[in-house]
Amino acid sequence: MWNVIKKLSIGLVVGIALVGISRALEFPSVFQMMFFGQAMFGAAVFMLLDAPSVRTMSGAKSVISIVVFYVVLCTVFVSGASMWPQFDPEDEKGKIAKILKPKLAATEQGKAEELIARVKALDEQVKALEVRLMSLGGGRAVKEPAPPVAESPIVPKAAAAGDFMKLGEEQWQLQECYNCHKLKGEGGKKRGPELDNIGSYLTVDEIKQKIMDPKSFMAEGFEKDWEKGKMPDKFKDVMEPNDITAIATWLSTFKNTSVNTPKPIKKK
Amino acid sequence: MKAWQRGLVAACALLLLFGGTAYAQVSGTTPVEFPYTGNRTAVWIVAQLHTLFGAFILGAPIFVVISEWLGYRKQDLRYERLAKEVTKVTVILFSMTALTGGLFIFVLLAAYPQFTAWFINQFHLVFTVIYPLLFISGTVVLYMYSYTWDIWKGEKKGRHIALGVLLILIGMVTLFVINGPTSFMNTPVKADGVSPQDALAGATLWDKIANQTWMPLNLHRIDGNVAFGGFITGLIAAYMFMGAKTQEERAFYDWMGFAGNLIAVGATLFQPFTGLLLAYEMCDYDFSFCPYMMADQLSMFFEMQGAMIGLMFLAINYYVWLSLKRIEGAEKIRMSILVPIVMVAFPFVMMVVMNYYWIPDPMSLAFLLPLVFAPFVFGRFIPLTVSARTVMKIGFLMVLVGDAIWLTPHGFAATGAKMLPELELPEAWNFLAGMPGKLSAIFTLVVITVFNYVVYNRAIRQGIIVWGKIDFTSQFVLIFLAFTSIWTMGLMGAVRSLVRKYFHTYGLVPDFSAESFTPTLSYSAWWITGITVVFFTVVSFAVILTLRPAASKNEVPEGSPVPARAK
Repeated sequence: MWNVIKKLSIGLVVGIALVGISRALEFPSVFQMMFFGQAMFGAAVFMLLDAPSVRTMSGAKSVISIVVFYVVLCTVFVSGASMWPQFDPEDEKGKIAKILKPKLAATEQGKAEELIARVKALDEQVKALEVRLMSLGGGRAVKEPAPPVAESPIVPKAAAAGDFMKLGEEQWQLQECYNCHKLKGEGGKKRGPELDNIGSYLTVDEIKQKIMDPKSFMAEGFEKDWEKGKMPDKFKDVMEPNDITAIATWLSTFKNTSVNTPKPIKKK
Repeated sequence: MKAWQRGLVAACALLLLFGGTAYAQVSGTTPVEFPYTGNRTAVWIVAQLHTLFGAFILGAPIFVVISEWLGYRKQDLRYERLAKEVTKVTVILFSMTALTGGLFIFVLLAAYPQFTAWFINQFHLVFTVIYPLLFISGTVVLYMYSYTWDIWKGEKKGRHIALGVLLILIGMVTLFVINGPTSFMNTPVKADGVSPQDALAGATLWDKIANQTWMPLNLHRIDGNVAFGGFITGLIAAYMFMGAKTQEERAFYDWMGFAGNLIAVGATLFQPFTGLLLAYEMCDYDFSFCPYMMADQLSMFFEMQGAMIGLMFLAINYYVWLSLKRIEGAEKIRMSILVPIVMVAFPFVMMVVMNYYWIPDPMSLAFLLPLVFAPFVFGRFIPLTVSARTVMKIGFLMVLVGDAIWLTPHGFAATGAKMLPELELPEAWNFLAGMPGKLSAIFTLVVITVFNYVVYNRAIRQGIIVWGKIDFTSQFVLIFLAFTSIWTMGLMGAVRSLVRKYFHTYGLVPDFSAESFTPTLSYSAWWITGITVVFFTVVSFAVILTLRPAASKNEVPEGSPVPARAK
């Protein structure tokens, strides 16, 4: 018992000290809690080290103890994993559907699905027309202009509207460019160059070239990354040409000279 | 289970495997919807179970043959008994590997018929000729190895060991062959300036197998399988220790648990490094894998991995601590003061060194190697010493510090995109969350474990081990290690598969199904736990089935206490 009290007291003192120090160093409260938890866990480990020996068990007693031990392990592992912040799959589902839409459309399955969607849309139009004819009478209905044809489900709305900028921004999000490049003060983690002033250095065609062939330009200060080929060369395969043009057009509008975007050097 | 029953199970399994492969050639099949689990999770369950059984039957023979050879060389019957008992369990689990393998093919075909047909066609020769031949050869040699045990003894023992070596070789080749298609799904062949489809069209079978992550995966899995075999041996020993009726039996299973655990720990020490090599090659193949794993959707999977490995290293060292308690005279062992000093300094020195000389700069070794070897080289010249107990307690403290560094994230958000300032590590402390910090944490755990085993080794040279008198808690530690290592294997297996994102084969075959997204860590943990429990239930059943009757026969009486220096 003395062992438990002693270790618990030390754990509390260390935990409180860690909280105090981390607060003084401006660690967010969630980190302070983590450090406190680690101090208490450490106390538990040291309690275990000096705990008295467990007497040998046998028969049913040992079987029960094993089963209980497994139940405890399963509970701790599942609850432990559930305590970490959880990624929300809903954030990703919409993105993946948009990325895969052109690829799906190119497959037999995609073509069949598109056909079914068109048939359904036409069927709905016929039904709507029937309702109008019934309520207004045949002669007048014939003179009425036909309702606009429903938009094909595979045509991106932004592209249909000719809103290239919106499509470009959407591609930035879909391809998760923000994981490596900082833009408008968001994302980056210094893995790739900040792009707020890229429009001052590269034209739309040059940005397109860089996306399709990452070795074509090298940002100053990123020589090692360029040599290692850190920027994936997959975009020409996973993106539609229209999407690449859209994101290049959108990026070319960024001409914020107050941001130190490294100068791109032409390599090819 | 009798020989004909085992044979029947193996034959059914092979029939399933071949049938599945042949059925895969039929195109145009529509996918089956698996209720409750969904298709992806259904494939996940059988694939993971197959991997677990496969890992054991490939790892155990390495372990068994070494043990048999040691027994023969040292004329120590305990090694022989250990090898024989683990082989009995391996034979049962071999059938389970084949069964789950066949089931895996069928579930894959039912869930993803088009992809499976495409995939099998890519590796037609492997799936229809090489792999089945290896599996049949492995089955035949394993059964021969098992049934000639009592026939080829004495002067013929060398012949039996040679058969065991052949079994290891077949197992290795099987592993290497099947790792080809597995690693291909993550990193298929690619060439500069050529589309993935064109690169694939021009690739030979060898190009597809020897892809960028094939060899790192081979190394990681060989090492992992040996560790796995060791931990399962520890589990078997723990079960048998708990069920032992006599002190002699306890002495043997105490020894078996220690031997199994020792080999497992030896292999585990290399696991983080082969794992890092695999991750390095993946990131080199496509850098977008890296942020996806470490900073975004899967970042919390790696936090959980850090927690699990931290717990494993604590348990490994706790087992050494409990083992030391059963050595008479261990309390007199003293170590140089340099040992605890190096233990305390190591993570901080390494963090600084790694920040200046990052891998593969060899300059880092110029600082770190002298530091690690300092206690052994200069220790004899410094008269100040501390007790083994104090050294180990300081070691535990530093394992906790190492765990704390490993668990410190950039921020408490599941993705970098959702990082808020109140959840983020202050910029001045970012080094704790960077790779140099993590690497120093990993090395700290490894170095302290090695130091603790050095302490243990000194204790057995100067004291007497009283086998069978180990604290009963140690048996739970062995069970914990087996369970945790398998759980971690499941977690990292999930990561390796999820890295493909919305592709069945990265960059080549997209997954258009509704399940093509990153699941939550919590959801994954439920299934990993479920799979681990199923695996443990089967292994426990196999142990009871094969070893329980033998235990009462009291095959080899073991003395107790045993002078340590005689080992």
